[in-house]
Amino acid sequence: MGNAVEIMGFTKSFGKFVAVEDLNLSIREGEIFGLLGPNGSGKSTTLLTIATVYKPTRGDIYVLGHSVTREDYIVRKLVSIAFQDPKAMWIDKPIELLTWHARVVGYSSSEAKKVVKEVLELLGLWEHRNKYFYQLSGGTRKKIELAKVLIQKTPVMILDEPTAQVDVLSKHALWDVIRSLKKDGRTVIIATNDMFEAERVCDRVGIIFKGKLRAIGTIGELKDLIPSGDVIEIHVKDRVINERVVENLEEFGLVKISEGVIKVYVNKGEEKVIDIIDMFRKHDIIIDKLMIKEPSLDDVFTYITGAKLRED
Amino acid sequence: MYKKSDLRDLSNIIKWDLMKLKNQKIFLAMRLSWFIVQITVFARVISLIVRGFTGFDYFEFYLLGIYSSLLYTSSISRGYVLADEFDSGIVEYHLSLPVKRSVLVIGRILGSAISALLFTLPMMFVILIILKLITMVLEIIVSIITAFLFSIGVVSFVVLVVLRFKSGDATDIFFGTIDALLIRLSSVFYPLPIIARIAPYYYVALVNPITHFSDFIRIIFIPEYVLYTLNPIGMVMYILALAIGLLVLLIDYYEKKLEAGSWK
Repeated sequence: MGNAVEIMGFTKSFGKFVAVEDLNLSIREGEIFGLLGPNGSGKSTTLLTIATVYKPTRGDIYVLGHSVTREDYIVRKLVSIAFQDPKAMWIDKPIELLTWHARVVGYSSSEAKKVVKEVLELLGLWEHRNKYFYQLSGGTRKKIELAKVLIQKTPVMILDEPTAQVDVLSKHALWDVIRSLKKDGRTVIIATNDMFEAERVCDRVGIIFKGKLRAIGTIGELKDLIPSGDVIEIHVKDRVINERVVENLEEFGLVKISEGVIKVYVNKGEEKVIDIIDMFRKHDIIIDKLMIKEPSLDDVFTYITGAKLRED
Repeated sequence: MYKKSDLRDLSNIIKWDLMKLKNQKIFLAMRLSWFIVQITVFARVISLIVRGFTGFDYFEFYLLGIYSSLLYTSSISRGYVLADEFDSGIVEYHLSLPVKRSVLVIGRILGSAISALLFTLPMMFVILIILKLITMVLEIIVSIITAFLFSIGVVSFVVLVVLRFKSGDATDIFFGTIDALLIRLSSVFYPLPIIARIAPYYYVALVNPITHFSDFIRIIFIPEYVLYTLNPIGMVMYILALAIGLLVLLIDYYEKKLEAGSWK
């Protein structure tokens, strides 16, 4: 599998404001890639440029080998996008909007009716088909935006905050739908500021902050970027730990002891846990309970950018 | 699945505007009310006054002017529709569709021009019935083609302005001002020989496309009116040149410069 999207030295400015600066990024074919960052970090600008809605100020982006600056028409046939803000007038009806969309993306009249019905049913929206947009909830509007992409069935699909405003139950259903796209061999790019969503859905994640890519990798790789990335929490039976044990533990990483609970901050905890257990055995200390805890992606984001992902 | 002709794309884009027509009931009701008041009250009263002073039959002149005015304001109203679409981010959606930018812009302009024409055609037929001109089939066809070209020119101008301002408020103010001004600075309601008495007014009216359209429509249905205005071939060429010229400018803008964002 090659790269579905190659972003090369991409910069986008609006007047003096630089939204994205010198971004270099490769997104592999068939993966679900998450662009993670707070509002205003440059995620949407990047995605909109991949979809040829914006033009790069500098650099270029290639979608399956086609340049967004020189072959934008071809790129638009390969990419579909569900926008962050649903694109419809308040007086539009989902069935009309989606049927028109299906016709524009290449379906015949009868095929359009069929695929729109299938997608609306898949997303649980069939009963809302004839309502006006102003009568729909924010979550339902977001699903209609997603429906456009599901109808279009392009090799590369962009979902800009696909589950924002969507209720928890529907979120899980939508994540299933998104994962099913990967099974169909499609490349899915998701912009999100929801850590849980990124962890649940994405194969790899790029952290973007203030217009610059700060880190990229699998969730595990990103967590390993934090020194002492895993936390090994050890509860011992008699709660007595001598200095010698502490010294030995410090060879693995930072050690903190509180109320008889030992916390060792290590990289790649799963590889070191056996050695730690052996060390305790040598000291004849019985381990009551041992857990390896991962830092959250939120911790990773905070560590890399020095900022909180969400104000709340 | 993604192989389709540009013609098919064009037809689908045109359908966007036609699909939205039914959403403009309020605009249609407003124009219809204006039209009814014009033909039942103002046209008759003003014609009586003008006939009393000059002996000139102003009724035909005025009613055909009303049609020109209606078509112009309906075409201009597309500017408001487009500004609304910018506000709602529809333009971003359209720019992301697998359609060539030139096809997109031509489709939107043709769709808007057809919409404006559909809005006004029933009123045109009412005028022709009142003036007992409804049997002039060939003339009606020529007038519809001319109206379509005129509407293309106006809509292209409107879209260029909307894209230049990128502001719903600025668009409202601009069109609110020029809408009334351009109608007054033309031969829509005043014959050119009368306007000719005020030099600056006359020169503005000469370059105003609404003058060319309204007088050409009059010549089609009232051939003797040719004595009071400009060369009809010149007028229709002016309308055609304006439609093509502005559309080409707009295509160039869509292909090379247009992108989403910066909408105020």
